[in-house]
Amino acid sequence: MSTEASDPRIHLRVANKKAYVWDVEDIATIRSKHRLCGVFTGTLPHLSQQNLFLGVPMVLLPEEVVLLVENGFAVLIDDPKAHIQPSVAELQRWNSKEKELAQFQLSQLTTALGTSPAVMSEEAIKKRKERELKRQAAAAKAAEAQGALAEADSSIFTPSENAAPPPATETQYTVVIPASSTSFEWYNDSTCLHSSIQSAKEAGIWEYPSNLHERAKCGVFRGLWEQGMYMGGGIKFGGDYLVYPGDPLRYHAHFSATVLESPTFSLTPMEIVAHGRLGTVTKKSHLLCGWDDGKKEVSYLSIEWAGFG
Amino acid sequence: MQAHPSYAALAHVLPKYPRAAGSLFQAYNDILLVQQWTDVKVIDLEGVSRAAIAGKKPSTDVTLYVVPCSLAETLSFGWLTTAFTLLSDPAEVFLAITSDDASIVYYKLSRGIVKPQV
Repeated sequence: MSTEASDPRIHLRVANKKAYVWDVEDIATIRSKHRLCGVFTGTLPHLSQQNLFLGVPMVLLPEEVVLLVENGFAVLIDDPKAHIQPSVAELQRWNSKEKELAQFQLSQLTTALGTSPAVMSEEAIKKRKERELKRQAAAAKAAEAQGALAEADSSIFTPSENAAPPPATETQYTVVIPASSTSFEWYNDSTCLHSSIQSAKEAGIWEYPSNLHERAKCGVFRGLWEQGMYMGGGIKFGGDYLVYPGDPLRYHAHFSATVLESPTFSLTPMEIVAHGRLGTVTKKSHLLCGWDDGKKEVSYLSIEWAGFG
Repeated sequence: MQAHPSYAALAHVLPKYPRAAGSLFQAYNDILLVQQWTDVKVIDLEGVSRAAIAGKKPSTDVTLYVVPCSLAETLSFGWLTTAFTLLSDPAEVFLAITSDDASIVYYKLSRGIVKPQV
């Protein structure tokens, strides 16, 4: 949807200085063609605390964004600006479409109910009613036993007798909220598109890389990527990146990497011991990635426990 | 230190690099006497203000290099690459890290992206 034929570049939607990808086709392209993984952050609306199953939007590491934009694979979109104030006519059109959709769902439901055979036999319905009555009787008994205080409490939660009955299922339908805004008439990203990091910085929507450390991280990330590596966040092993020799779904990480922003940046022997030992225990080497900002070059040293001493 | 049997082999570098003398002395003795390396030699590395140790593991024929340092020192990426260059770029260099209580640990540094051993 978002990658139109005229512009094959992926549209990265920037909000609050983070770049999101909402389109699954774009996510597939980024993963398979550009060898970048990003992180899924979208959760389920009715289970927002769970983080086992995450989906769109995907958030990209700032280093990934810089690489995609610098290589001309993607452009940055000022997402809040791309949402224009809708006109009354546009809103009316949207509203009538929503109504149409609701009507369609309801008609589908009624035809489904009409054509499907009776789900329960009469006997089953009778049995269910009996069970219901039994349960009610038991509940009444329990409430009585609990005394006046509990009764007063529970009265808040039990609906009063003259409360309106819950709406019948026939009037219920699903409201679909699209993940991506591209289908809205009031979404237009052609006027707030930035095809370079510099232009996005000037527009105030993007900052990375803004200092030597961030430049070093971008340089090292690019260096490893150009060697065919896949990078993930390195927090689990105390580094800047976990480095995989292929797609992380197919390979274990071979390395954890730390970025040293200059050849003179201090490095204590204790760090070498800590990284080296942890890497060896987890069957990884540790990569020291030294950035030279003058030459714009990265060089690597691999650390492993020597096996003696 | 001067009375130690190892002192003679190190006499030309210990006074030259007093700050690194302790770790060099300790690493040299460990390599020679504990690890029992053969053909142990001392190589002066002026660029990193210390001497390195070259030798072969028992019953092997590959010359390996050990650069000693103390746990209290602060190194840098450039320092490590200088050590590689001064040793005429071997595939790997062992960094011997020594501490005040005479314990020593060796880490293998390799230039470039070198896969871990399986």
